Amino acid sequence: MRKALLAAAALLVAFAPSARAQAPAVPRQGIVCTNGTTFDLTATPGYIETPDGNSVLMWSYALAGGEFQSPGPVLCVNEGDSVTVHLHNDLTEPVSIVFPGQTGVGGSGSSGLLAKEAPAGGDATYTFTASQPGTYVYESGTDPEKQVEMGLYGALIVRPAGHPDYAYDAATRFDPQREYLVLLSDIDPDLHHAVETGAPYHFDQLRNRYFAINGRQFPDTLQDNGVSWLPAQPYGSLIRVKPYNATGNPLPALIRMANVGTVNHPFHPHGNHIKEVAQDGRPLRTPGGGDASSEHFAETIGSGQTQDYLFSWTDQDSWNPGSNPFPASVASPDYRNLTFKDGNTWSSGSAYLGSKGTLPVGTVSQNICGEWYFPWHSHALNEFTNYDAGFGGMATLLRVDPPGGCTAVAGTASILAGTLNSGTATALAAADTAYYKVNSTVSGTRTADWYGGFTGVPRGSTGLAVTYTGRNSIAALPTTLWIWKWSTSTWVQMGAATGVGTSDVTSTRTPPSPQSDYIGTGANAGKVRVRVLTTGTTTNFVTQGNLLKLTYDAP
Amino acid sequence: MKRRDLLKAGALAGGLLIGGRALQGSAEAAANPEARIGLAGTDGHITLPGRGPLYIFGFATVPLAASVGDLVANYKGKAQHVAPILDVKQDNDVYITLTNLGLVGRPDLVDAHTIHWHGFRTPSALFDGVPEASIGVPIERQFTYFFRPHNPGTYMYHCHFEDVEHVQMGMTSIVFVRPAQDGGSALDPLHRTTTYAYNDGDGSTAYDRHFAILLNEIEEREHDADEQIQEFIFTDYDPQYFTLNGRVYPQTILPNNDPSLPYQPVSSLIQANPGDRVLLRLANLGYLQHAMQLPGIPMKVVGEDATPHSFPYVTNTLYIGPGEARDVLFTAPPFNPSAPVTTDARGSYNTYLFKNRDFRRLSNRGSPGLGGMATEVRVYQGSPLPAQTSVGETYA
Repeated sequence: MRKALLAAAALLVAFAPSARAQAPAVPRQGIVCTNGTTFDLTATPGYIETPDGNSVLMWSYALAGGEFQSPGPVLCVNEGDSVTVHLHNDLTEPVSIVFPGQTGVGGSGSSGLLAKEAPAGGDATYTFTASQPGTYVYESGTDPEKQVEMGLYGALIVRPAGHPDYAYDAATRFDPQREYLVLLSDIDPDLHHAVETGAPYHFDQLRNRYFAINGRQFPDTLQDNGVSWLPAQPYGSLIRVKPYNATGNPLPALIRMANVGTVNHPFHPHGNHIKEVAQDGRPLRTPGGGDASSEHFAETIGSGQTQDYLFSWTDQDSWNPGSNPFPASVASPDYRNLTFKDGNTWSSGSAYLGSKGTLPVGTVSQNICGEWYFPWHSHALNEFTNYDAGFGGMATLLRVDPPGGCTAVAGTASILAGTLNSGTATALAAADTAYYKVNSTVSGTRTADWYGGFTGVPRGSTGLAVTYTGRNSIAALPTTLWIWKWSTSTWVQMGAATGVGTSDVTSTRTPPSPQSDYIGTGANAGKVRVRVLTTGTTTNFVTQGNLLKLTYDAP
Repeated sequence: MKRRDLLKAGALAGGLLIGGRALQGSAEAAANPEARIGLAGTDGHITLPGRGPLYIFGFATVPLAASVGDLVANYKGKAQHVAPILDVKQDNDVYITLTNLGLVGRPDLVDAHTIHWHGFRTPSALFDGVPEASIGVPIERQFTYFFRPHNPGTYMYHCHFEDVEHVQMGMTSIVFVRPAQDGGSALDPLHRTTTYAYNDGDGSTAYDRHFAILLNEIEEREHDADEQIQEFIFTDYDPQYFTLNGRVYPQTILPNNDPSLPYQPVSSLIQANPGDRVLLRLANLGYLQHAMQLPGIPMKVVGEDATPHSFPYVTNTLYIGPGEARDVLFTAPPFNPSAPVTTDARGSYNTYLFKNRDFRRLSNRGSPGLGGMATEVRVYQGSPLPAQTSVGETYA
């Protein structure tokens, strides 16, 4: 039966008019927009899962022909669009949609108090012009103390005309790769159980037990969008940034926050302040039109409100182990005298961004290459729980990735042609006075051909780049860099040859797409191989590798 | 640790205030003068009206030079609530050494402790105090947290280990950062103080007296369950006591280090001369939003979350949510002989009440009469009070 449903869904999508909303390829992290001007939604029941193993009946809006999802799809439109939302009702009581913050909402359907309603099994349609950019919610306007509690809500994003990288205006320009939705909700499972079993529904006995961001409770909030094991909760909320840099990374992330729950939530970002630039779809302005944005380390968002924040993470002191280290007395604590909670940590074990320290034996690390993790959570700490268990609920993590991405140095060196002169792979870790030296072949066209092996590169990494610094014992020899393509077991050349003489020359190369071909799987999981080929002379020579480094953006 | 700091710590054995101010303006001050602070995490009991001693977790100020063994012998089971209020200066290097002394009342628990400097712009997750993304300090071990604060204002610190429990149990306090602008009176329009809330550039945040007050709640069922080795379901949270600096009215108006409250040494009594500009450093580490009023005296909000307000505003009701901070200035009004007058050793004064507007939170466990989240502002006749020498100073 399920297969048939899926087939039907596929047909529906295939034959949907092209003007209708289309869900684009889903990014692993960040906001998942359903773009369009016409949306077909179905009010439908389904179940969400909570990290403590519970399963809760929810009602939600799903894309017609799509799977049940909580919360409803993020509807993304442009300023000035004429928006049409069709609602089909698969629930057993009338439902509707209201669009707080939109004016002049028209529509058709059966009559209701606040909006036209779709009767059980029936339909309604809403139309409005998205006249003001901003972050909004949509929710049921019918019996809201039951239907909104049950989950009939979602986010509506109106982008400024012609400027999808602005929240509102030029002052709210953000990095489109770093746009995040933080939709806060709360759930009383007893009320949901009452609906499920047909028991009396007493909203005055509300006692929230679950607190969600984008429909998931921590730590499920950290999982990617659309993971298979949370089929009804497609939206993650891991926040990722790289340190602010005026030239390399000048634009902030945009955090679109909305509270569809019954109570106010005080949201606390660790790491750096967040800058509130708008509330309820209006930029914060003085009466004279000046900037009235404000910085916060905690800010309460009221029930039904939306707030937009710009966020950049900065280390004001630029601490680094080379030129500006932490005081020696604090930089390298003895971890044998400390504890990593439950033996499982996001800590890198280092005081420095982009470095990894040595964790005690038996401690499992979730850290990839020295990135930071900071919790962002409700500071009503009773909401920072899953029913009764702490470190759950209304929380996610901020992940600050190292500025250059992850860096790996060659851990092994192997010779394909020629012989070892001196040195080991450890000489390739830094551009210094230590070299890994390979004698060329000694007949015909002389060749020195070797490769460095990298390990621990996570599957799904992107932005691979190789940096090689080296020299030769004789003047200018053409040197090429290659990368091992695991799928075909062949070397792939990266770029043209570089002339390398008797002083160090640095080359940076990026392999052709798709980069996933170069990261080993199975028994070779996480392995990358980079080859250095020097040839083109009939004189014996020695190739001298100084640095062989791989940088990448971890998934 | 410099000898001057040691002497200062010794002089404040009650643990009300510690920090780096001793170095301010001193000849020893280098580019980044140091403040070294010793804190211990342990358990204890506090006193609240209408019930027996309440079990808490908390911090205590401890000497840095002592061995862990000596600290356990002398301080285990002697936590205070609120924890010591920390007073540091912008750009100074702050070292906070935390020792976990273990729990007298729950020897079965092996909880670690941490210090999270709440609101600090954290350059390294190692010092953020989140045990899942950094380290925890196990029993009878030590760790030194390092901070170099660049942004003046009012912050908090608390344990982040199983924080829904450890925060409610009492491991909470205020840390504030004095601005680099402090030290000269040229900016003060009245040319009488050298202290400012922020680097305002124009003296608009100059103050004569300042008071750091932590708003909180106590859910006694949680504390009792902890003491009796039971589990409390935190989503049942529904507190019975509403505190300022770990005390409820009328405890709040007892002086600092009052002998009747040995483990609640921090007063919230605000004593001022007429015309004094008073800075309230307010922070909330409860789990509820509070609406604070000071009837009869307008409150000017000059900062929020350790950020100066571009547009300060005046209010009669100040909302402050969990985890949030506000910096509020008010000017003590003239002494009014026709208003109710009370007299103490310092002379006659008018009383104003700094209190929660939600009167359900002005009761101690529901008993009749004023209680809970309230304290008094006393404005004296004449100017009998000397200049303030430390935050929240009280005058018997």
